[in-house]
Amino acid sequence: MNEMTRQEIAEYVLDELKKAGAQKASCAIASGRKEEFNIEANKFTLLRTLFDDALSVKALYDGRKGVAAVNKLDKDSIDGAIGQCIALAKAGTPDEAEDIAEKIENKGFSRTIGGSDMNKLFSRTKEYLQQVQDEYPKIILEGVTSAFNAGEGIYANSNGVMFTDESEGYGFSSSFVAKDGEKSSSLSGFGAGMLNLDMPLIAVGLHRTMIEESVKSLDTRMVDGKYVGKVIVTPQCDDMIWGTIIDCFLSDRSLIEGTSRWKDRLGKKVADKKLTLRAVPLHPGIIGGERFTRDGYESFDADLISGGILESFALSLYGANKTGNKRAKNTAFGNIEIAPGDVALCDMIKSIDKGILLNRFAGAAPGPGGDVSGVAKNSFLIENGAITDALSETMVSFNIVDILQDITAISKERVEDGSSILPWCCFDGITISGK
Amino acid sequence: MLNDLLSAHKAEFKDYTELRAQENTTKRVTLLAGNMVSNSQTAEGGVSARVCKGGTFGFSSSAEYSRESVKNVLRAATDNAVFMDRHVNKGSDPLPPTPEGNFKNCEKPEKDVSQTVLIDFAKTIDSIITKKYKNLTSRTVVADFLGMEKLLAVSGGADSHWYQPRSTVYVFMTAETNDGIPVELYEAFSHFGAFDKIFPDPYLLVPKLDELYEAIMDKREGVYSKAGLCKCVMHPDLAGILAHEAVGHTVEADIVKGGSVAAHNLGKQVASELVSMVDFAHTFDGKPCPLPVYVDDEGVVAEDAVLIENGILKGYMHSRETARDFGARPQGNARGFSFNDEPLIRMRNTAILPGKSKLNDMIESIDDGYYLCKTGNGQADTTGEFMFSVELGYEIKNGKLGKAIRETTISGVAFEMLKTVDMLSDDMKWGIAGFCGKKQPMTTANGGPAVRCDINIGGR
Repeated sequence: MNEMTRQEIAEYVLDELKKAGAQKASCAIASGRKEEFNIEANKFTLLRTLFDDALSVKALYDGRKGVAAVNKLDKDSIDGAIGQCIALAKAGTPDEAEDIAEKIENKGFSRTIGGSDMNKLFSRTKEYLQQVQDEYPKIILEGVTSAFNAGEGIYANSNGVMFTDESEGYGFSSSFVAKDGEKSSSLSGFGAGMLNLDMPLIAVGLHRTMIEESVKSLDTRMVDGKYVGKVIVTPQCDDMIWGTIIDCFLSDRSLIEGTSRWKDRLGKKVADKKLTLRAVPLHPGIIGGERFTRDGYESFDADLISGGILESFALSLYGANKTGNKRAKNTAFGNIEIAPGDVALCDMIKSIDKGILLNRFAGAAPGPGGDVSGVAKNSFLIENGAITDALSETMVSFNIVDILQDITAISKERVEDGSSILPWCCFDGITISGK
Repeated sequence: MLNDLLSAHKAEFKDYTELRAQENTTKRVTLLAGNMVSNSQTAEGGVSARVCKGGTFGFSSSAEYSRESVKNVLRAATDNAVFMDRHVNKGSDPLPPTPEGNFKNCEKPEKDVSQTVLIDFAKTIDSIITKKYKNLTSRTVVADFLGMEKLLAVSGGADSHWYQPRSTVYVFMTAETNDGIPVELYEAFSHFGAFDKIFPDPYLLVPKLDELYEAIMDKREGVYSKAGLCKCVMHPDLAGILAHEAVGHTVEADIVKGGSVAAHNLGKQVASELVSMVDFAHTFDGKPCPLPVYVDDEGVVAEDAVLIENGILKGYMHSRETARDFGARPQGNARGFSFNDEPLIRMRNTAILPGKSKLNDMIESIDDGYYLCKTGNGQADTTGEFMFSVELGYEIKNGKLGKAIRETTISGVAFEMLKTVDMLSDDMKWGIAGFCGKKQPMTTANGGPAVRCDINIGGR
């Protein structure tokens, strides 16, 4: 079986699932290679080389679903997964909403970059370590990984759908603190995906800015008392608003349960007209973006909110069938783009008398009501139109449904980090509190 | 059960070397509003090697577990270690050996519990909820099983072969406030052991489901907490996450090297004298801990790590490497989650030790504050600043419980906040559901008593 190609394995799996009684079936096979340098506390510590395989099979047996996954592609493992999948389906519960993608034109996608250049990756990583030590001696690189990732995958189903994909790229992530005697700044970090190593790692995206802000954060100030004010959410702080919107209001779970506060808002205004939010796996700035969905459809970029109007939920095929809505054009909801605004970042800051520049948010996973509260991390006070002191022990609280109506500005400038394209957004009506 | 293809290679180990074969199996059934949205099993395993040369490591892994693949990963890890040694030349002392031995605790059943057991259990819980509890708008039931088998051969340490199963049931209930805003609450029931042994009868959970339902009915009437510093009593569920997030991560020695505030506090008063905290290896109060660890993935025989004793910071948690760097003794904290994960410093059974007070007395002692009962996620920082969510809490007014509060967040600076602890209850509760995230996921247990302290709370 090791000599079989991925396509032959896929055909074998679908054939065997059908022979075992599945009316519909699908399988996904992926093989990957990762080579990764690690730095801890300003020193190289580890070089990792990983070879991984993955097989996931799904069967629908009288409308009942089973899913089994293994990380081996030998015949015994494949046959074991097939048998397990059928047994799971037989034990399951019938559900008419379960389905697989219908036949469309099969396609292959290739996004390779000619393999890895590990010597250059090592040089870039070493250069980064040296630059940080020379230019920012108070910074400790707590943990850094720089990696080359290569993957090949195939999706096939019993309706005749077959997609193949191969991709390569580099990934980098760094977490760091500034330290001066007994003073420490908050843990900060930066990560990005890249197609080449042309640029020094410190020059990618907001990386240098984040390091500089870390040094400035050695001395912090707490907000006095409590007030309701403006917060500029930077592109670094992507989960707090955008991830929450998708999880709480647009996802399969929230709509199947009926807990989404936007379940009846399709085509209606849900946010200020300045907001356009898209899921964009095909955007040239996204590295290794999805080309076909987990359900077996070709992926396309999708408008979720356009000019403040809710255009689409983030539903899978199952979620769509279950709720009677349309499925989303992709399932890459981590690859988001916010349309740029018409205000320069410097003017946005100048317009604020008293507020916060929020770089990171450490908070509770919000409930379905949309209430959010947490600690402002790596963040700064804005006073009289200028960024002043770094903050500590400052909490922000708001309801996400409410503040989306209160977007006062979106910046012209945006940042690409390989997984999203985001501007700075200013929200009003946020409770900011110190001790 | 994994065959031992590793020991035969021990004679080839030149530098410090680990060979680890591992298989993680999972089973999961999810009923979302009665719909079976997941019914899945996974098996993920393989072999990895890690070699240390001149102070840097090489690591390699393969999903295939065969004589050939063991040779290949050992060779690739050695090549990687040589590359790093040649290019980095860290020149550190070799990792000191620890006591050798061979630990076996591999009572893995020939067949895991059947998926139908999980399906039937989840369906019965779902049926109980729909029949018994009114005014819920939705519910989710998850039955989950994780089995982890590890086989380890190391140089200068203890070899091991063990199996650890964990079974968990999550129940989410959703209701609506009077003005139609959804509120949610969940409970995780989790223990180490086979699913059918841990959960022999779904009806045994009914008293706990009753409590969860009463709490969600309270929460739908909940009010916003008042933002700012407040006096509170934390339920033992929160004390566990306090131990893990607020203190535990800051005293992991790799985080200490990375700039943690704990670096300057060893031997200093970091908490009130009432507070003692230990990362237990495998035994607490004469009984097995929820997550017993006897040998870690570096072949170190596990022992308790005393972190805080009567308010004084006594020590950190170590890997072999950090123990060498700090002149300390490794105590079995280095663990990797999957076969292709290198061992990192991880907590095991981290707990604040109980005190002498009664919970009711602690609540009665507060005129204006909060009783914080359930938590969800949490995060720590090198500065010692921590946060965690509060999913359920109550106002305390004049020593009595008042209205429930809506979900919020609490935060503080660990070594300042712990100095405000002035009462600890005389009981103790462990929690083991969920995973700790630090580059890799990891199963951990944490515990503690009810804690009275000052804390910063979010709200309006």
